[in-house]
Amino acid sequence: MAATQGLDEPVDAPSRPARRRSTARYVVGRVLKALFTVYVVATATFFLVRLLPGNPVDVYINQQIALYGLSYQEAANQAAGLFAFDPNESKLKQYLDYLAGLLRGDLGTSLLSPGTSVADQIGAYLPWTLFSVGIALVISFILGIGIGMAMAYRRGKVFDHAMTLFGSVTHSIPNFLLAMMIIVFFGVQLSILPIADMRGAYSPGVTPAFSLEFILDAAYHAALPMFVYVLTSLGGWMLVMKSSTIEVLGEDYVTVARARGLTDRRIQVQYVGRNAMLPLFTSFVLSLGFVVGGSILVEQVTQYQGIGFLLYEAVQRRDYPVLQGILLIVTVSVVLANLVADLLYSRVDPRVRIAGEEA
Amino acid sequence: MDDRKQPSGAPEPVLSVRDLVVEYRTGQRPSDPVHRAVDGVSFDLYPGESIALIGESGCGKTTLGLALLRLLPRLGRIASGSITYRKRDGSTVDVLALNESRLRQFRWSEAAMVFQGAMNSFNPVLRIWDQMLDTIRAHDRSMSKKEAWERSAEVLREVELEPERVLKSYPHELSGGMRQRVLIAMSMLLRPQMLILDEPTTALDILTQRAIVDLIHDLHDRLDFAMIFVSHDLAVAAELATRVATMYDGKIVEMGDVRDIFYRPQHEYTRSLINAVPTVTEDRKEVPSHG
Amino acid sequence: MASIVDAGSTNLQAPPPPEQGKEAGAFRLALRALMRSRTGFVGFLVFTGIVLVCFIGPFFTPDNLPSDTSKIYGPASWSHPFGFDSEGRDVFVQVVDGGRTVILVGFLAAAISTTIAVVFGALAAYLGGRVDSIIVTATDIVLTVPSIVLLAVLAAFYRVGSAWALAVILGVLGWPGLLRAVRAQVFSLKEREYVEAARLLDLGTPRIVLREILPNMSSFILMNFVIGMTNAIYAMAGLYLLGLAPMEGSNWGIMINFAWTRGAIFFEGSLGYILGPVLAICILQLSLVTMARSFEEILNPRLRNN
Repeated sequence: MAATQGLDEPVDAPSRPARRRSTARYVVGRVLKALFTVYVVATATFFLVRLLPGNPVDVYINQQIALYGLSYQEAANQAAGLFAFDPNESKLKQYLDYLAGLLRGDLGTSLLSPGTSVADQIGAYLPWTLFSVGIALVISFILGIGIGMAMAYRRGKVFDHAMTLFGSVTHSIPNFLLAMMIIVFFGVQLSILPIADMRGAYSPGVTPAFSLEFILDAAYHAALPMFVYVLTSLGGWMLVMKSSTIEVLGEDYVTVARARGLTDRRIQVQYVGRNAMLPLFTSFVLSLGFVVGGSILVEQVTQYQGIGFLLYEAVQRRDYPVLQGILLIVTVSVVLANLVADLLYSRVDPRVRIAGEEA
Repeated sequence: MDDRKQPSGAPEPVLSVRDLVVEYRTGQRPSDPVHRAVDGVSFDLYPGESIALIGESGCGKTTLGLALLRLLPRLGRIASGSITYRKRDGSTVDVLALNESRLRQFRWSEAAMVFQGAMNSFNPVLRIWDQMLDTIRAHDRSMSKKEAWERSAEVLREVELEPERVLKSYPHELSGGMRQRVLIAMSMLLRPQMLILDEPTTALDILTQRAIVDLIHDLHDRLDFAMIFVSHDLAVAAELATRVATMYDGKIVEMGDVRDIFYRPQHEYTRSLINAVPTVTEDRKEVPSHG
Repeated sequence: MASIVDAGSTNLQAPPPPEQGKEAGAFRLALRALMRSRTGFVGFLVFTGIVLVCFIGPFFTPDNLPSDTSKIYGPASWSHPFGFDSEGRDVFVQVVDGGRTVILVGFLAAAISTTIAVVFGALAAYLGGRVDSIIVTATDIVLTVPSIVLLAVLAAFYRVGSAWALAVILGVLGWPGLLRAVRAQVFSLKEREYVEAARLLDLGTPRIVLREILPNMSSFILMNFVIGMTNAIYAMAGLYLLGLAPMEGSNWGIMINFAWTRGAIFFEGSLGYILGPVLAICILQLSLVTMARSFEEILNPRLRNN
């Protein structure tokens, strides 16, 4: 559910040569690179929030001075509490404090919900997004590769054409607009969907717990966003899987497998399926990373209280610590996903084994 | 017509092909033109003999090989003709009439095929052992894993490879020559009566080619199977074949005993093929006698 | 004794004449792609139609829409296909008027990001070494943050002045994906013989890149340009909906924002108001996507259904 809904480009992982890399060195290298990326984004955020002219901290301080007649010192102290670093100190110290805070997991306190730490707030909203977008991703992936493979096998036939058309149409509709139209058509115009009920992440009065009642309720509320996510991303998976399957079907080893008398089922799953899925594997794991950040629009339309919703609220209310925190969390998750994808790929494709694991 | 003289006695042919026509569509639409890759081919293959199909690229020899096992790609089809196969017990099989499941049984157990350039003949994500087991299990569910391992090890030893190491490897971990051997071994797994080899030595370097040719020759001598191999390498043909068929434009233009073809080619095309081979030292390769 | 099997038709024919060389020019290839694929062609027609309506149509619409309070959320009819909005103005006219900005911003944003991606991607691949590492690292970093999140956060800090500024921002955020693809392509083309030849002839980097490498990627670049447009339009619509884009003037994004926030979900008669711009955007996107897919088919022959 990346922010951009463009066509899925063929995954930029050209068939990797069987490079041998020393395990430890490689893993460490990748981890360092990941940390570096997070560091850069954290620094950029600091830069945005603190150093640019007209930055929010200064604005906040000036506001406090203007509105409440505080001295600079007092205002600065207040800011210090909110932003997890002390504006009175030198810029460099502020920066270091900020970094130190990050390492501690301290993202500051929310401006507009005083007393609540940013981390807590994120913690309250994030799981809903993970739930809805995550499950939707898995569903659309599984459906997508199934249909994609079927399309490849039935190439040129009605099914193929129909699915391609379907995929193109659903892929081009922006997901939040689809949500909008569903609400308008089925909720308002036709009154089929109880949209007022379905708002929010869970019904008021239902206590969050690991009970069946709660889970069903959560699913009920997540139904619309999930439906929209699945429908709009299905097309992408389908088409990439189709082209990957077509490519694999043209490989020698499939013909040889037929010559060996293997059953169609076996060939489909172990020979075609597994190989066709390889390029999609990386995409899938990367998409998992984008799960955290990609939902602001749909959640706003469906009033689903996930992290996208929080983001919007924070933007509206200029709650900078929260914004900062969200940006960081999102970045970390993408970086993490990248790392995992890279390291896991060798498990999936034996040609890319990391040395030291040879049989 | 073609040469149907039997080498000795009067054994029945293992394979009888009559007037086989194979077409390829050039596009999905019915209006798209159709290309005849094999245009009325007939020949017999006798037990234990080996026939070389020679000709230039595009003459239809690979298509013929694929057609014998009905392995044509999507756009190809057998338009007419017959392929009759005789099992060891004497019963005959109309290959073109086999249904899906019988065809699957027939493939590999009666007739196997070794493909050109074994580079890509193996599933990259499965180990060699898994692929051997797959093959065995597809035909004989009753064989235990232990027996299957034994059988796999046996065929690997026949091609001079070390079973332990090879079976546990992934295809990309083996060299090109090794992969070719493994493919040959795999083709022997079910002791087929007929083996089709499509350019068995083409993608290999000279030394490996030599080794593979020797291997095939050796296997053919020791084990009981009839062989058709497709090649544009006349030297290989001369070494391995008892009879040679020259193909041009989808038809067999000349067929005969290997010595006759090489020493006394009748057809102008055969002659031009043979003359086209650049000689380094000698005029003709010494044609080894087949026992 | 060998015998001749078929004495007749084996006059050794001359090989068939080589295929006509394929033109590598972007527009010729684009044309071919569209001719081949029916859906692509339809997409192209639709797109052209939309462009015409949105750029020429406004000449025919009244400069100041009369707002008729008696017609608030008035129903649709033949002369007013989408009915009326919350202030009694004809929605259809607004839809016609509102497309220019969307298309232009999308186009501009895609142009910016495509240019950045192509220039730096090609340079990175061609020059290699340090330059490559720097560009790749920068790309990875920008690629890491989902652009909508970044845009939302930026919008909180800084007001976006105008639609042009919006286009620039979108363009500046959209290049990483394409850059990677361009770089990969240039890498593979770099090894081709004709580039080697050009290098041996010492033709100079810019010339080699411009004359040898890029023309061969032109259809690839074109396809990504179209995709870039769809991404920009998506982001733009989203930002307008959230109210984070400059709300001046009138365009489809603003219409959607107004329709939604002014209660399309409450008033039955408001269907036209929200349906108009939504439909317009969806059709625009659909036409772009089908065109891009037909380009993709041309590039990757295996996808073709023949």
